Amino acid sequence: MMLIILNECKKALTSPILIGLFIVFSAFNVFVIISSSDHKEELKMLNEIIDQYGRDITDNSLNRFESDIQIDLAKLNRMTASEFTSVYDFLDGLRFEDQEKYSDEQWLFIHRLQLKEMYLNMAKSIDESYEAMDIKKMGEAEIEKYLLSGNAAETLLHEYEKLSERFEEMVNNGEHKEWFFAGKAYFMHSFLFKTVFLHIIIESLLLIVLTTSLITTYEFESKTHLVAYSTKRGRKLMKDKLFASLAIATTIIVFLFAITLGTFFSVFDYSHVWKTSISSAFNWEYNFPYVAWWDLSVGTFLIGVIALVFIVLLLFVGLTFAISIAVKNSYISFFLIAAVFVLLWLLPSFMPTSSTLLFVFAYTLPTLLLAIRYSFMGSSGLILFENFEWMTMSCWTIITIVVGFMSYKRFLKIDIH
Amino acid sequence: MRMLWNEVKKIFMWKMMLLLLFINSILYFLLIEFHIDSFPNGSGLYSYNVGVEMVDKYGATMDEEEFIDFKKMYEAKVEETNRYLQSREDFVAEGIDTYDKFTAYDWWNPSQEARALRDDVFLGNKIDLFWELQERHGLIEFHNRRKRVPDVLSDKERQRFEQLIEEEKFGVYTDLVIQNFKSFIANVGVAILFSVVLVISSTIIKDRSRGLLLLQYTSKKGRNLFKTKLLAGYIATFIIITSLLAVYFSVYSLNRTSMFFKVRVNTFIANESWFDPTFFQFIMICVAAIYLIGFIFATLSMVFSSRVPNMVSLIGIQIPFVVGFLIFGLNPLLPNMILIWTPKWLAPMSYGLMILLSALIVIFLWKREKKMDILQ
Repeated sequence: MMLIILNECKKALTSPILIGLFIVFSAFNVFVIISSSDHKEELKMLNEIIDQYGRDITDNSLNRFESDIQIDLAKLNRMTASEFTSVYDFLDGLRFEDQEKYSDEQWLFIHRLQLKEMYLNMAKSIDESYEAMDIKKMGEAEIEKYLLSGNAAETLLHEYEKLSERFEEMVNNGEHKEWFFAGKAYFMHSFLFKTVFLHIIIESLLLIVLTTSLITTYEFESKTHLVAYSTKRGRKLMKDKLFASLAIATTIIVFLFAITLGTFFSVFDYSHVWKTSISSAFNWEYNFPYVAWWDLSVGTFLIGVIALVFIVLLLFVGLTFAISIAVKNSYISFFLIAAVFVLLWLLPSFMPTSSTLLFVFAYTLPTLLLAIRYSFMGSSGLILFENFEWMTMSCWTIITIVVGFMSYKRFLKIDIH
Repeated sequence: MRMLWNEVKKIFMWKMMLLLLFINSILYFLLIEFHIDSFPNGSGLYSYNVGVEMVDKYGATMDEEEFIDFKKMYEAKVEETNRYLQSREDFVAEGIDTYDKFTAYDWWNPSQEARALRDDVFLGNKIDLFWELQERHGLIEFHNRRKRVPDVLSDKERQRFEQLIEEEKFGVYTDLVIQNFKSFIANVGVAILFSVVLVISSTIIKDRSRGLLLLQYTSKKGRNLFKTKLLAGYIATFIIITSLLAVYFSVYSLNRTSMFFKVRVNTFIANESWFDPTFFQFIMICVAAIYLIGFIFATLSMVFSSRVPNMVSLIGIQIPFVVGFLIFGLNPLLPNMILIWTPKWLAPMSYGLMILLSALIVIFLWKREKKMDILQ
């Protein structure tokens, strides 16, 4: 039995094109990460700040930080023989021909001072900007933006009320007052959890769907099905094929994650920010900071998201398996799954804006995968619901098992010719 | 001939057609619907209306005199707005009783009343005059800057800019229409590319994997059948592209942009191009480009189809080609192919090269097929 599974795995593993595709994908991911790593040295500034002033932003640590910056500013003023209160004043007044007046070392100093001031100014403005936030008003704005009415509007408002409570709790805990790479300057959260993760997700999906449908329909396509399914093991072979597909999928996901994230974290130094809260005020890229429903650190969030992606991808193995045995043609299965993926993702946009179906039909695997950077977040528009992740997962696990089981049972009985 | 007909019929299996229909309707909602449904949307509506009015009144080109007339229209509208503002006591109380004062107001630090009033005319009551004036003002501003050449340019780009200025081909018509068409055609290109690859890929491999070659190549027609299959593939490609274009363009006609057809592409704002076809000619060029892309990818599909061992490999090997083309090739080779920001000869050279390569590969494939040991 193990031998059968192993031999089934071999069908995918010995396909040179699939291996080639895997290598192309990995290389592409490495290229994407390296080519947008211009700011990796700048990011190290934050690690120094955390080393010196601690991860939590307190009045005390900010004061120390500020007085250190004052010392630097004094140095800058000696260097330039003028009176600047901020390095930005100096940079604004800088003329093109003045640039050569300073040595590389001095420029490095100026540049570092600029970064420090940026972090300080951002940290100082946290309280003010968080006080100005009105979560319930945001809910109303969201309703206006998407022209919601009726039940949908009520449900959304209700959820925003819950979020508002969570937001207050978060502010009281001081979760947002921890250092993280400045979101508005570097967009590290989006880069990791959107760009890099979406690459991994789409590439794994392509490979998984291809390998699973290859393994499941192999006999039909090489015209050996009449022999294979009349042996003693017979149609139960499909079970082995499922296990083989799951094993191959796991291998693909693990290696793709290892290569891509390995590159990512060796290029970008995250060592100091693992324990920073993901809801940090610095993790603020667009109109609103990322606010998680729970007190998650960057490390926990990463593990959570990886687990989420891993399970969802395995569910796709199940769905591909179900469709492939029904269609018995890998080519058609591939395009069907691609089309269904997009269709599920588009579903909410076909729903009336007055009914809660709008939200219900967003509880799909494609939506979960494509919005992976908003997992566990309350700041994610129409899918902000606290139960979004676990509800989607459990519903779709049940759907996958039922569909897979039905498809398998049907296969046990149909005519094969 | 009958063989060819039968090969074409084999490609258009009803199952495949159903899948094609399903995938195209999904691609339509994913990619294309937005550019049809929401055109013109928001402030675009005013942009569109002013544009249509200009074309109706001044024709496909606008000379200096006509632009002076256009400015007069603006003045008249400003007068009308002034009367409106003076008729509203709340505006007068705020000290904003003319449109000039309205635009000169310091909107970065407005008083609460002023902000409420502005929101009222733009959002609450939606007074068309204000939106329209903004639009006309933008067009006039653009016209005032018509002789300015951007700073960072290559020599050739600078020459072209200067040449356009010399010939008095200025961007005067709203860019809304041409931008909308460009987004539309790029997405149609994506949909057609997927459709062609979907249908054509599986043609040649089918007979191979069923072991039919043994029978086919030992018949009277023999290996010449391979050429018939290729031809059938190209005919099918032509039919697919033509019918999809017909469908998508009849949807596009809902956008009502036909009055702009005679306008030359260089007379649209921010659309300086190497050549100067009319909008309608530009549409035709894009259609031709889509046919080329379709035929090139059909060739690629058939090449792989006659080489790879199974269906999964067939899809797998095409993914890098299709995705690579979509990421790097689609925009410079389709919507922006004659735009000044794309090198002048990039599109003709790339298409020429791709056609040449396709032809060479087909010849090579045929030579190989003639000699191939079919027992393997």
